[in-house]
Amino acid sequence: MNDPLTQRLFFLFGLLIAAGVAGALLSPHFLQVSTVAYLLQYVPVLGVLGMAQTLVMLSGGPGIDLSIGATMSLVGLAIAGLFGLGVPLLLACLIGLVIGGMLGAVNAFLICVLQVPSLMGTLATFFAYSGLALALTGGSPIGGIPDWFGTLAQGRILGVPVHMWTVFIPLAIVLHVMLSRTRIGSHIYAAGNDERAAFLSGVKVWRLRFALYCLSGAIAGVAAIMTLSWFQAARPDAGEGMELLSVTIAVLGGAHIFGGIGRISGTVLAVLIVTTLQVALQLANISQAWQLAAIGLLLIGSVVADNAVGEKLRARVRRTTS
Amino acid sequence: MARFAFKAPSRPFRIGREGLLLAALVVLCTIFASQSEFFLSERNLTTILRNSVDLAVVCAGMTIVIILGGIDVSVGGIVAVSAVLIGRAYQYGMPDWVVIPVGLAAGALLGALNGAIISKTRVPPIVATLGTMYIYIAVLFLVIGGVWISGLPNTLSFLVLGDFMGLPAGVFVIGFIYVFSWLLLRRTPWGQRVVAIGCDEVAARLVGIRVDRTKIQAYALLGLFAGIAAILYVARLRNVEVNIGTNIALEAIAATILGGANIRGGIGSLIGTLMGVLFIKITQNGLVLIGVSSLWETVVIGGLLIVVLILDALETRRVS
Repeated sequence: MNDPLTQRLFFLFGLLIAAGVAGALLSPHFLQVSTVAYLLQYVPVLGVLGMAQTLVMLSGGPGIDLSIGATMSLVGLAIAGLFGLGVPLLLACLIGLVIGGMLGAVNAFLICVLQVPSLMGTLATFFAYSGLALALTGGSPIGGIPDWFGTLAQGRILGVPVHMWTVFIPLAIVLHVMLSRTRIGSHIYAAGNDERAAFLSGVKVWRLRFALYCLSGAIAGVAAIMTLSWFQAARPDAGEGMELLSVTIAVLGGAHIFGGIGRISGTVLAVLIVTTLQVALQLANISQAWQLAAIGLLLIGSVVADNAVGEKLRARVRRTTS
Repeated sequence: MARFAFKAPSRPFRIGREGLLLAALVVLCTIFASQSEFFLSERNLTTILRNSVDLAVVCAGMTIVIILGGIDVSVGGIVAVSAVLIGRAYQYGMPDWVVIPVGLAAGALLGALNGAIISKTRVPPIVATLGTMYIYIAVLFLVIGGVWISGLPNTLSFLVLGDFMGLPAGVFVIGFIYVFSWLLLRRTPWGQRVVAIGCDEVAARLVGIRVDRTKIQAYALLGLFAGIAAILYVARLRNVEVNIGTNIALEAIAATILGGANIRGGIGSLIGTLMGVLFIKITQNGLVLIGVSSLWETVVIGGLLIVVLILDALETRRVS
C-alpha cells in the first residue's frame, strides 16, 4: 500500500466504480448486460493506443508520440488500399503492421539518432502523416472490406467483443509481463528513471527507445486493423484526436510524462474509466461537454493528487532516514 | 549580467533559422507565382495576410511561452471560449467597448489559470494544458449549445478587413503585436527573466527570480493574445463555429518550432515564428491557386518541419 503506484491503482479502481455507480444512477439502461458489450466495443482501439503511449513515456527522454493517431489512419488506408489492389487481406494486414513500424522508425530516427525532442519530432510527423492520409485519398474513405473480416471487431464471444479477447487482453498481458518480469522491462524503467545511471550500467538507452517508437507505430497498426474490421472501411481521419486522448489515458493511468513511472494495469483501468464515463453520459443523454470537462478535471486532479501523495511519501522517507 | 541575457544564446557558424526560412519562403513563392498569375496580385496577398492575422497573434504568445520552457495545447480552447463569449455578448446587444474587454479578460484569465495550475501544482505544462483544453472545449459546448452563432455586427471588421495608410490593417495589428512582444522579451527585465527560466529554471529560482509569478504572467499574456485572436476572428468572419479553435494549438506550436524555437526552452525567435506563420498560410493559399488539393497543405508543413529539424540536428552535431 505504501507504493504510490499501488495506491494509484486503488484510486483508479475507486474511480471506475464511482463512474459505474454514476452511470447506474444517471440512466436506467446502464446496468444491463448489453451495456458491457457496448462499452467494451470502444475499449480495445483506445486501449492499445494508450498502452503504446505508456511504453514510449516510460522509457523517458521525455518521450511522447503525437503521431500515433495519424500513423493509425495511414496504416488503415494502406491496408485497405493494398486489398483493393488485390493483395490478400491478411497479408495486407501484416504489411500494414510493418508499415506502422516503419512510420514509427521515422520518429525513432528523428528522436533517438538526431536527438530532436520527441514533442517536436512527432509533431512534425503528425502533420506529415495526417496530411498524407488526407491527401492520398482526397479525404474520402476506402471501403470494400469483406464481411468475414468484420468478425474481429463486430463478433462476440460470451458477450464480449472478439477483439477484446484476441487483441486487447493478450497485448495487455504480454506488455505487462514484459515490463514487470523481463530484463527489457527493467531496462525501460531504468532508462526512464535515470538515463545516465542506466547508460553507465550498460543499458543501451537510445537503442531501447528506438525500438519502443517502432513498437508504438506497429501497435498503432494493430489499432488500425481493429478499426478497419469495425467499420469495414478505412477513413483518412480514423485516428484524429487519438494522439491527445492516448496521452490523456496514459497519464491518467499513472504514467509519468518524464518517464520511469507507470504500469500497464493503470493504463487499462484508465481506458475503462474514460470509456465508462463516455458511455454512461451517452446513455443518460447528457451533453458531451460534461464528459470532456470530467476528463479534463480527472487528468489534472489525478496528477495533482499524485504529486501530493509523492511529497508525503518523500517526507516520510526523510523522517525515517534522518 | 543585464546585457548578456537580453540576447538569445548565440549559435555560431549557422545560416540562422530566419535565413533558412526566408529561403524556403522565396522558393515557395517562386513556385506558386510561376504556376499562378493571380498569386502575387495585391488582392491575393491581402487575402493571405487577413487569414494569417489570428494565428500570427497567438504565435507571438506561444513563442514567449515556449522560450519560457513551457507549452500550451489549450490555446485553441481559449480562443474558442473568448470567441463564444464575444458572440454571446454581441447577441445581448452589448456595444464594442463592453465586448472587447470581455474577450480580452476571458483570454487573460484562462491563460492565467493555466499558469497557476502549472506553477502552483507542478503538473507538467503539457499535461495541465491538455486537461484545461478539455475543460475549455466543454465550456465552449455548454455556452454555444451546438448551434453556430452567426450574423454578428461588423463594427470591428476594419481591424482585419480595412485599409490604413494604403496597407491592409492586418499589417499594423501583426506589427504592433510583434514589436510589443519583441520589446517585452528582449528589452525588459521581465523578458530577461523569461529567457533565464527557460534556460535553467532551478538556477533562475536560486538567483531570486519569482519563477511562479513570471510563469503565470507569461501564460496570461498568451491567453490575452488568444483573446485578441478571438476578437480578430469574430471581426473577420462575423460568426462563431462549433469547431472553432480545433487546429490552432498544434498549428501555433508548429509555426513556433519552424521559427527556430526549441521546446526545451531558452531558445526562440519572434521573427522566425512570424515567418513560420507566413509559410503555413502561404502554403494553404498557394496550393489551392495552383490547382493542388488543399489537403496537401499539412504534408508540406510537416515535410518542412522534418527537414528543418534534421538540418538543425546536423548543424548542432557539426558545431559540437
